[in-house]
Amino acid sequence: MYNLIRVEFFKLRKNRSFWTFLLALSVLSLAYPLLYYFDHRSNGEPQITGAEFLTTFISSNAYIIKFGVAILAGFFISNEYSTGVMKTIASSGNTRGRLFAAKLIVFAVGAMAISLIFPMVSTAEVTLLSGFGQLPEGSTALFIPRALGLTLLYTAGYAAIGALFTVILTDSGKTIGFSMIFFLMIDTVLAGIGSKISFFSNLYDYSIFKLVGDIGKPSIDSGDWLALLLVPLLTIAVSGMLGILVFHRKEIK
Amino acid sequence: MYEYVLKTNQLSKKFKGHTALDKVNLSIRKGSIYGFIGQNGAGKSTLIRMVTGLAFPTQGTIELFGANEEQALIQARKRIGSIIESPALFPHMTASENLEANRILRGIPGKDCVPRMLEQVGLQGAGKKKAKNFSLGMKQRLGLAIALLGDPEFLILDEPTNGLDPMGVVEMRELLKRLNRELGITIMISSHILSELHLMASHYGIIHRGQLLEQLTAEELNEKCQQYLFIKVDDPGKATAVIQNELGTADFEVMQDGTIKLYSRIEQPGKVSTALFSAGLEIEKFMPMGEDLESYFTKRIGGNPNV
Repeated sequence: MYNLIRVEFFKLRKNRSFWTFLLALSVLSLAYPLLYYFDHRSNGEPQITGAEFLTTFISSNAYIIKFGVAILAGFFISNEYSTGVMKTIASSGNTRGRLFAAKLIVFAVGAMAISLIFPMVSTAEVTLLSGFGQLPEGSTALFIPRALGLTLLYTAGYAAIGALFTVILTDSGKTIGFSMIFFLMIDTVLAGIGSKISFFSNLYDYSIFKLVGDIGKPSIDSGDWLALLLVPLLTIAVSGMLGILVFHRKEIK
Repeated sequence: MYEYVLKTNQLSKKFKGHTALDKVNLSIRKGSIYGFIGQNGAGKSTLIRMVTGLAFPTQGTIELFGANEEQALIQARKRIGSIIESPALFPHMTASENLEANRILRGIPGKDCVPRMLEQVGLQGAGKKKAKNFSLGMKQRLGLAIALLGDPEFLILDEPTNGLDPMGVVEMRELLKRLNRELGITIMISSHILSELHLMASHYGIIHRGQLLEQLTAEELNEKCQQYLFIKVDDPGKATAVIQNELGTADFEVMQDGTIKLYSRIEQPGKVSTALFSAGLEIEKFMPMGEDLESYFTKRIGGNPNV
């Protein structure tokens, strides 16, 4: 298993799409706050602080997570089917379960790296420009590690779903396209069905798709913590198991 | 100890309404070079994919190095190197990086095997070149280098000379023969270039429409390769009538260029030539010859001898 994880990290390190995405995201993360900075300066408005920026825009990071997972799933995993590399991997004398688990772990780590770029780079830049300021009322000093920790956990949840799609679709284009549409539409679909059938309403309320929006809340009630932690963990476990099951029965062409 | 590196027992594979492999009992003896012959769609790749664990049998069993339980088979595949259909490479990585990725994957200690493998396949100067910039022949060589990582005991190669130039074909053949001779690596090669296979295989398996028609050694093949009289006359139609009516045999084949291969009466060339001459035919060529692997294969899969 150690070798399998090592080789996945080696491949991630050599994956140009991953680095290009990271770089592009870093540039955008640097450019975006500058627009606010110069806009506020020209209008004479008070500058937005690092803390304000983080609390305001952390929820928008969900879009980056979704796009990041979709793109990385296509270029990091599905691509191996089209290049034929998956044949070498699957015939290397390792169980399919281990192969998938190693891929999922490293894929999730890659997606996590992507998910941290925007909140960290932008917040650091805004802090340098106009100071960190005060965290919103009701939040504690733990807000930042909590928000970043939950970002990582929810990204892993999305990554597990993305990895499942790669095993089913096996084609980069299809994986990216389907994952993006799925992640962008699932809220609307579940909320829409949920308005008619209460089961789906509950399902949506306790899914990572809805709960990801709670990451940036200034304070979280102690009663909500269980769901906030358990739901992504269950998503990882269920999607991971399903992925292993599908990959175990998959004939590789 | 196992005598056979690979044995399949009643191995079958069915897709929707189509039987790709039908109860195949194939065996590859340790230390042999096994030429796996069949047309496109005959079932060669399907069998290879099942042996390497990429596809699953509908029925039947696979035995690798004497192991046939699922977990033992997975372990046994660590002892196999393979190129299946085409070399599997990371296009954006260099040749060395491709080997390094596979070295880590297989848990092979030490990086020294990377340049050694590149040298073994004649790519010592191309280690820093990206695989996407390789010619097909270079990709084949790199694919072979990857397959050879970890010193496998059994090599499975699907069309290994595909895309190689004539010198490359010779080098590949010599390399495979050397690996077999010096390291005792058992090799299974599926190839369409039968003349090339004939120069290295010690055993053959002929597969057609999912059925293994025959397995034979090179010696048995040489014995079976039918002798015939090669006849070229000015009027092939008349000659066939003479052969059928005067010599009383239909055991012949008329080739597309009008030449005739007569498989019987080989021991009576005088009688044959006299019959043709007496019928007023002008004999341009007349000589005893032996079949090669290609014609044996064509006949074995049911090619019509009286084309």
